[in-house]
Parts: sequence; C-alpha cells; structure tokens
Amino acid sequence: MRYPGNEEGGTAGSAGGTGNGPGGNKEDSKPRYSIPGILHFIQHEWARFEMERASWELERAELQARIAFLQGERKGQENLKNDLVRRIKMLEYALKQERAKYHKLKFGTDPSNELGKPPDLEPEPPELQTAAGSDEPISSQVSWRQGRQLLRQYLQEIGYTDTIIDVRSNRVRSLLGLEAPEQQAQQENGGSNSENKRPVAEQPRRVPKKSLAEAMMMEAESAVMANFDFLSGGMDVDDDDDMADDLDDVDDDIKQSKRKSRGIADEVDAETEEVLNEFSFLGAEEASAADKTDEWSYSGARADDVSLGELAQLTVNNDADMNMDVTLDKEAFRKTWMAKYTLRSHFDSVRALAFHPVEPVLITASEDHTLKMWNLQKTVSAKKNASLDVEPLYTFRQHSGPVMCLVMSSSGEHVYSASLDGTINAWKVPDCNIDPYDSYDPSILVRTMNDHTDAVHGLSLHSQKSHLLSCSADGTVRLWDPTSKSPLIDTFSSPNDGIPTAVDFVRDEPSHMAVAYNSQVVIYDLESKKQIVRFECDSIGAVNRVVCHPTLSLTVTAHDDRHIRFWDNSTGKMLHAMVAHLDAVTSLALDPHGLYLLSGSHDCSVRVWNVESKQCLQEMTAHRKKFDEAIHDVAFHPSKPFIASAGADGLAKVYV
Amino acid sequence: MTMSEVKVIVRRNRPGTKGAEFCKWPEEPFEEMDSTLAVQQWIQQTIRRDPSNITAILTPPETQDEEVWKYEHLRQFCMELNGLAVKLQSECFPETCNQMTATEQWIFLCAAHKSPKECPAIDYTRHTLDGAACLLNSNKYFPSRVSIRESSLGKLGSVCRRVYRIFSHAYFHHKTLFDDFEASSHLCRRFTSFVMKYNLMSRDNLIVPNMEDGATDAPPAVTETASTPTTTTTTTKVTPVTGNTTESEA
Ligand SMILES: [Zn+2]
Ligand SMILES: [Zn+2]
Repeated sequence: MRYPGNEEGGTAGSAGGTGNGPGGNKEDSKPRYSIPGILHFIQHEWARFEMERASWELERAELQARIAFLQGERKGQENLKNDLVRRIKMLEYALKQERAKYHKLKFGTDPSNELGKPPDLEPEPPELQTAAGSDEPISSQVSWRQGRQLLRQYLQEIGYTDTIIDVRSNRVRSLLGLEAPEQQAQQENGGSNSENKRPVAEQPRRVPKKSLAEAMMMEAESAVMANFDFLSGGMDVDDDDDMADDLDDVDDDIKQSKRKSRGIADEVDAETEEVLNEFSFLGAEEASAADKTDEWSYSGARADDVSLGELAQLTVNNDADMNMDVTLDKEAFRKTWMAKYTLRSHFDSVRALAFHPVEPVLITASEDHTLKMWNLQKTVSAKKNASLDVEPLYTFRQHSGPVMCLVMSSSGEHVYSASLDGTINAWKVPDCNIDPYDSYDPSILVRTMNDHTDAVHGLSLHSQKSHLLSCSADGTVRLWDPTSKSPLIDTFSSPNDGIPTAVDFVRDEPSHMAVAYNSQVVIYDLESKKQIVRFECDSIGAVNRVVCHPTLSLTVTAHDDRHIRFWDNSTGKMLHAMVAHLDAVTSLALDPHGLYLLSGSHDCSVRVWNVESKQCLQEMTAHRKKFDEAIHDVAFHPSKPFIASAGADGLAKVYV
Repeated sequence: MTMSEVKVIVRRNRPGTKGAEFCKWPEEPFEEMDSTLAVQQWIQQTIRRDPSNITAILTPPETQDEEVWKYEHLRQFCMELNGLAVKLQSECFPETCNQMTATEQWIFLCAAHKSPKECPAIDYTRHTLDGAACLLNSNKYFPSRVSIRESSLGKLGSVCRRVYRIFSHAYFHHKTLFDDFEASSHLCRRFTSFVMKYNLMSRDNLIVPNMEDGATDAPPAVTETASTPTTTTTTTKVTPVTGNTTESEA
C-alpha cells in the first residue's frame, strides 16, 4: 500500500504476467493442490485441532475438578446431616430411657449435676447455656413424648444444627486452610495449569532426589507429587526394574500422607467429641458414655471414608472435598509442557539453542550462519493459536558457515558458538532489552578461535571455570580458556577411535571429560590426558550426544539406533538402555537437578523422561522434517520452567 | 507422521560430519520430497550441485506453485546475503560509509525503524536483513510455506528492492569484497536474474552492471557511476520509504 505506483504496477504485472505458469492468478491457483500443500494443510489443521483439544481438555479438567469439589462438599454436608440425625436419635433414645426411669421412680434426680458440666466443658456457644437453663423445668414435668417434641423444637429454635454445621465446616475449612496453599501450588505444579508460573518454576528444585529418600520425607507431599507425576506419565516404553523401587517409594509417601491425614482425622474427632459433650448434658451418664464410644468409632469411620478412603487411593490430599477432583482427574496432576512460544526468524535449520541462566532469554544457532537472541517477554501478538510469536532481539553475524552448536556461560555474559567451518566464536550476550535495530557493535564478538581445521560439532562449558571443550571432525577434542591470551590449552585425539561426535565435562568430577566417538564413549582425565574408563559397549549405535549428570556419577548418551543409554562413570558399566524414540535420538538435556531428561529425535518428537524411573512423562511432536532431519537440539532453562527444542524446519519452540 | 516409509538413503548430517561432506547426500527427486519444506530442499539441492548454474536454480519443478517458489527463493537470497553482510562488517564502517548509498544519486533510508532513518551502510545492511528475516518468517504475512497469501505478495517486491541495495553498496563501495563474494556465490547474478524473471524489481533499479544473464561471463566492469539511469537533477534524492518493516509487523 505504501509502494510507489510504478512499482506496485510492476508487482501486479508480475502476478499477471506469469500467467503462463500453472496458474497466474488466485482464482486459478485455488484448486491447484499439491501433495505437500495438502499434507501441510492437514498437518496444520491437525496441529491446530490438537492445540484446541488440549485447551479444551484443560478446561474440562478444570470444570471436572470444580464439579468434584462441589460434589465433595455436598457429600460432606450429607455425612454431617446423617451424623446429626443419628445423634438426635440416640439422644432421643437416651431421653426416652431417662423418662422411663422417672416414671418408674416417680422421683426426680437433680439434673443440675449433669447440667453443671457442659458450661465448663464447653463455654463456647452461649445458646447452650440458655438452652440448658430452659431445659431444667422441662425435665421434671413432662413425658418423654413431650420431651422429644421439645428437643426437636429446641434444636430448631436455636438453630443448633446450623450452628454445628457452620462451626464444623469452618473448623474443617480452617484445617484445610493450613494445607490449602500448598495443595494449590502442588496442583498447579502437577496439573496442566499454566497460569501460575512460580510454583511450576519451583517444581524441579523442590522435588528432592529420590536416592535421598530421607530428604524426601521432609516434603512428603511434593515428593508424592513428583512420583505421581511419572506414575501417571504417558508412554510406558521400557520395562525396567527401577519402576518397582519407585513404586516402593510411592508407598512410603502414601504412608506419610496417611499419617498426616490421620492427624487431621484426630482433630476432626476431637471436634466431634466436643459436640458430643455439648449434648451429653441431655443424656444420662451411662447413655452418654455408651454414646461416646459409639460416636467415637462412628466418627472415626466417617473421617476414614471421607478422607482416608480417598487418600488411600490417591495419596495426595488430606481433605475429602479436595480429594474428589483427584479421583476424577489423575492426569491433571502431571506437569504437562505446552508449546507456548514459536521462534521464527531463521531461514534454515536451527541447530542448537541455549537458555540464559536467569532471564527468560535464549539464543539459537542456525544453519543460516547466524545466531539469534530472543526475549520471551517480548512477544508479538497472541493470535488465535495458543502459541505466541517472538521476534529476535539480536542477530549474531560472523560465522561463514552453518552454526552447529552453542553454549552459554553460567553467568549469562558470554555465548560460544561453533561452525561447520571450524571456527569457534566467543560473543558477549547483549542486553536482553536491546533495541533490535540498534547500530552495529563489533565488540559483541569477543574473539574467534580457529584452531580446528574442520567442522565443530560439539561444545561443553565447565560449570565453574571458563573452560570450554570442543569436538571436531578434524579428529580432535580441544580444551580452551577463551579468556586467556592464547586460548587453546590442550588438544586430544584418539586415532583408533576416529572422529569425536560429542563431548561433555563430567560434572561430578570436572577434571574429567566424556568423549563420544562413533560408537565408543571414553572418559579422560584432562590433566594427565589418560583414559579413565571406557564404557563397555558392544554393537551400540553411533553416539549423537553425551551429557553428564550434574551430581551423580552418571552419563547419558543418545544414539542413532533410537536408544538412550545410561552409564556408570566409575565402572563404565551400562546401567540402562531403552528404545526412546522412533528414529535416531539427536539431543539430550538434563535439568539442573538431574531429575528430568529431555530428548529430541529425528522422529519429530521431544520427550520428557524421569531420570530415576526412566519413565517417559510426556511426548511432544514439535517440528517438521527437512530431508531426514527433524530436531537438532533440546534444552532446559537453568532456573525457569521453560524447555525448548530446535528444529530442522527453521523454528525453535519453547514450552512452559 | 509417516513412519512406515522405508528409506535406504538417509539424508542427514550426523555429528562428526566433515565440512566437505555436509549435505553431500544423493539428490532427491522433487516428486519424492514429501516435506512441507520441499521447495527449500529443492532449491538448496540445486544450488549445491552448481551455484553458477543460475538457469537450473531458477527453473521450478513442473508443478510448483510460483508464489511459493518466489518466496522460497527470496528466503534463500536473504540467507545467503548474510555472507555478504559478514564480509561488510569487517570493511564497511560507519566512519567511512555513514549513509547507505550506491551511486551518489541516492541515499537510502532504513525502513526498519518506526520512522525511517538514515542509518550507516552497515546498519542498513544488518537492519534490512533482520527486518527481511522477520517479515519473511512472520506468522501474519507468511503463515505457511506451501501457499502464499495474495495480500502478502507485494512484500516480496519490497524485500527485493531493499536487499538489492546491499549488493549495490558493496559493488560501488567495496568492490574487491563484492567480487570476492560474487565469485564464490554468484549471488548477485542469480538475484538479478530472479527479480527480472519474476518482475519483482524494475530494470532501472538494477544498477550493478553486467549481472544480467546475457552478460554472464564478462568480467565485472569498473565502477561506472555515470551510467546510473536516474533522471533526477538533484545530486541527492531520498527514496520514498516503501513499507516500513517494523510497522508492517505490528
Ligand atoms: Zn560501506
Ligand atoms: Zn536502520
């Protein structure tokens, strides 16, 4: 619209002038379907439906939870009503007996003995005292029938039923009130609810390591949540024994919860006891005693079937009302990652991505030779889709070939990228509120290290020191100190093993590194350059990625043969192997606590795994294929609830 | 989605692939490309085969939708222009090229800003490429890579005009660099053929000489500032800024 007339004409002319093609204008082009077009349309529609379905399911789950809550409330009220009716009947019975006694003896005992008790026992409801006072003359003159009548009247008049209900429900509520915030948080943690991000953020941190079961006891509930998480997890791909252990863990936690809820039940019992005492003035001594035991067991049972009954199944909540929704909607408790941001601005496959340590910022590296920085807080517009578009804030240009990998320093100040041409660039991370169209600042590029003579496929950054490892198709692994004047510290090569395909610092022993060769994984000491351990593996598929656990002596590898394998760093023994995807597994990422594992594959999907149980918690179909490649990298945000995937379709996606 | 397909050839760059082996897989016939990115795959495959064979690169597969074809080519141009921008970063400084110019008749204003700005040449280059990347990837204007909205077609022409200025600036102010880049990429020649073939720019604006197909192998002539076909009498004319990218993104 803003084009000068002649150029507009030119463009229009082009549209018309090219009518010799299969169709020159849009009327003709409408029925011209192509298979990729149809496929794309179907895929697009499918994705849209999936998205809508997901949001509907979310809504449904919420509504079901609400229904369950209300039903639970109703059930509670009914129980209470039954309880009171039963009590009334028992009191009536007691009164009846008393009257019978009176009639027999024709002589009245002094009721003040018993009436004296309730006030000191229970000074709380004033109605009680007045009622007790008014009861005095009645007791001495009328028949049991009248007494019954009066009792009914009395209950109606003073509305004691309501009072009891109110008092009790308030009490119950206040009891729950203590628990509620926590439960709420957990629900949001576990549930697919994405509104509240904070608790979600804390989830990975809060969930203690399973191997330290004791620590877990401290936070029994959140741990239960975590367990629950993977128990209800989707795909049950592998059949490992660890599962049994986990179930045991869960059982422990269930017991914990039970114990806790037993506490509440006790309190509830105390409450019923009080109520009982309030009534006891009406009945005879022995009747009341009998009632008491009766009531005790009764109320115990009540608490049981309302709270514990549910708890036994669900182990999560302590309260009957809140429990219900769990029954109905187990899945809601699972943390479900949802694609939220689509990062579109690369012209070619996104090869790698890395999150800022604290900010909601990430940097992507692409085969289009550039890196781009994105701030997730700067979204373009919420379209009809749930997915938000983000525009890049900064484009890093210096590489003259596809950028294959990148890592960000733990301070968030620097990012290192390596390219197919063998260069490694160290960049300053620009301010995350930079104007995307600011003037060019050459100092963003800190330095270029080009000792490698061929493509660099992997980088790893030391957790504390500013040391960098790179592995290259030139057959070497190099150790760098990018801050020093001559950055290259050392070069490692293993001619027998060939070309290294992936590298990582061993996190629990940072003077070691794990290097993957075609189908070998070796741990070296960086100082002595000696081989520490070689993973015992015959006929495993080519290794595409190596990641070392942040705290355990554990290494995870991603293989071309669709497997993910777990290794013990000290023995070199394989701990576990699983077919994790339908196609080559290309990428892995561990969350900062080492509890969850992300994997990306050329089968177009990203999967979330529980490291302890090796259970798949979630699968997301994320990217489209370009040739036979689909997903090149996955990442966890070090401190925020974000995960991301990098696709051969030129897109990066961020999930919350 | 279709996991059943049995493929003998897996076209993948595995970790460890040498730079020279990158994407060196057997070519895939267009009919067999079932990806939504088939056109990009096809264009890149043809370029890899021989970047100087512009006719082959610009010849679409028979059934190809022309708008998508143009769109994917433009993406590829913008992507490859990054190579020229990288070279310019080391030579084109705001001190020496404080305006985006080609011949002396024109100063181009940078359309990436809310109100068009007289950015130095290197900023113009970067901003224009960044803006083009955003525009061509915009979910609003180009939500699909297999069908292009009629209303977005006009964007292609304006992107072409803007990115062409990068060629012309390099040619007229950084000749060695330009020749160097052109020798390996043949990008300006390809671009010129492309915009002419699809009428995306007027011939008058194609000011880098000897880039048309007819003059393929003639060595690039020396800078001929006099040959610019502008009719203006003023020495400096500011081009009307055509379609502000930032604005159109909103
Ligand atoms: Zn310049
Ligand atoms: Zn500008």
